[in-house]
Amino acid sequence: MTADPWDVLLTFMRLGLVSFGGTNLPEIERVLVDQRGWLTPELLANGFALGQIMPGPNMLAMTHYGFAAGGWWGALAATAGFYGPTALLSAAAMLAWQRLSRWRWLPALRAALLPFGAGVLLAGALVLARGTLHGWAEAMIAVSAFALLWRTRVNAALVVVGAAVLGALLEL
Amino acid sequence: MSAPASVPAVPEPEQSPVTATTPPTPAGLLRLFLGVALSGVGGGLPAHTRRALAARAWLTDAAFAEAFTLAQLTPGPNAVNLAAMIGAQLCGPRGAALSVLGLLAPGLVAMLTVTVITLGLPGGLPPAVQSALRGAACAALGVMLTATVPVLKVALGVRGGLTLTLATFAALALLRLELLPVLAVVVAAGLTVNRPRSGA
Repeated sequence: MTADPWDVLLTFMRLGLVSFGGTNLPEIERVLVDQRGWLTPELLANGFALGQIMPGPNMLAMTHYGFAAGGWWGALAATAGFYGPTALLSAAAMLAWQRLSRWRWLPALRAALLPFGAGVLLAGALVLARGTLHGWAEAMIAVSAFALLWRTRVNAALVVVGAAVLGALLEL
Repeated sequence: MSAPASVPAVPEPEQSPVTATTPPTPAGLLRLFLGVALSGVGGGLPAHTRRALAARAWLTDAAFAEAFTLAQLTPGPNAVNLAAMIGAQLCGPRGAALSVLGLLAPGLVAMLTVTVITLGLPGGLPPAVQSALRGAACAALGVMLTATVPVLKVALGVRGGLTLTLATFAALALLRLELLPVLAVVVAAGLTVNRPRSGA
C-alpha cells in the first residue's frame, strides 16, 4: 500500500497540531487505523514500542507509521508534517511569551488544558492496552515495567529492551 | 561533555569577549541537542536538556522552567517544542531550526533503519522478532502509564479537574469522538470554571 506523500504530510500535520501533552494516541488510532486504514492496531503498538527504544523523542513512531503508509516519502512526509508546524508554532509562541505572561486569563487557560491533557493520556493508555494486552503474560510484563520504572531510576529504554527479550523467550 | 574550554572556537568574525563559556550559536545548539537526543534514549529529554544548558550556562533555571511550561501548552511533542523555544530564545529562527534538527536527527536515522528492515521484509516479520516487539509494546504501555500518573495528579488538583479529565477520557476512549470538538468543549468548560475573578 502506498499513500500519496502529500496526503500523508497533511494528515500528520493535523495530528501534530491537535496533540497536546506530547501524545494523542486516541486521535492517531482513529485517523490512521479506522479512517485511513494505513495501519493495523498491531503496527500502531509496534511503532510506539520502537519509539521508546530510539534516541530522541518517543513519538518518532510517526516515522514508522509514515513508512507503513507510503514508503520512504511517506516516512519523511509524516516526520516533517508531525514535527515541523508545531515546532514553528512553539518558536513563535516563545517570542510572544513576554507579552502573554501578564495576561490575566493565562492561569485559567493552563488550568483548563491540564485535565484535557490528562484525559488524552488516559485514553491513550487504553488504546495501547487494547493493541498489546491479549493475555496474562502481556499484562504481567506491562505491570512489572510500570512498577520497575515507578520505583527505581532504571532507564526506560533498558526496561523496553528487557521486555523485548522476555517477549521473544515467551513467544507471546 | 563539560569541557567548554576545549571546544573549538566558534566561527564568528568578531572576537567575542572572553567569558567562562562559549556563547550560544546555532551550530552550538545543533551539537547540544544532538547530545541530548543521544543521551535521551528512553525519554527524560527535558531533564537532559536542562542539564546540558546548565553545564554551558546558556539558560537560567527560571528561564528554563518558563520555557518548559510553555512547551506543555503548545500542541505537539513537548521535547521538540522545548528545543524550538530554547533555540529561538537563544539564537532566533536559525537557532530554533538547528535545535529541532539536532534533537530529531539521531532517532530519525535509527528509526528509518529499523523500520525499513522490519516492514520491508517479504513475508512479514520472523516470529521471534514479532514476539520481541509484542513484549516491548507491553513495556511501552508501562512507560506510558508512568508519564500519565504525574499529569493526572496535577490535573486532579485544579478546579473541576476530576470531572473534566473523566469527560475527556470518556469522549475520546469510549465514545471515540473527534479530538478538536472535545478540546473546544473541555477547554471552554475549564475556562468558565477557572475564570479570573475581578478583585482577586
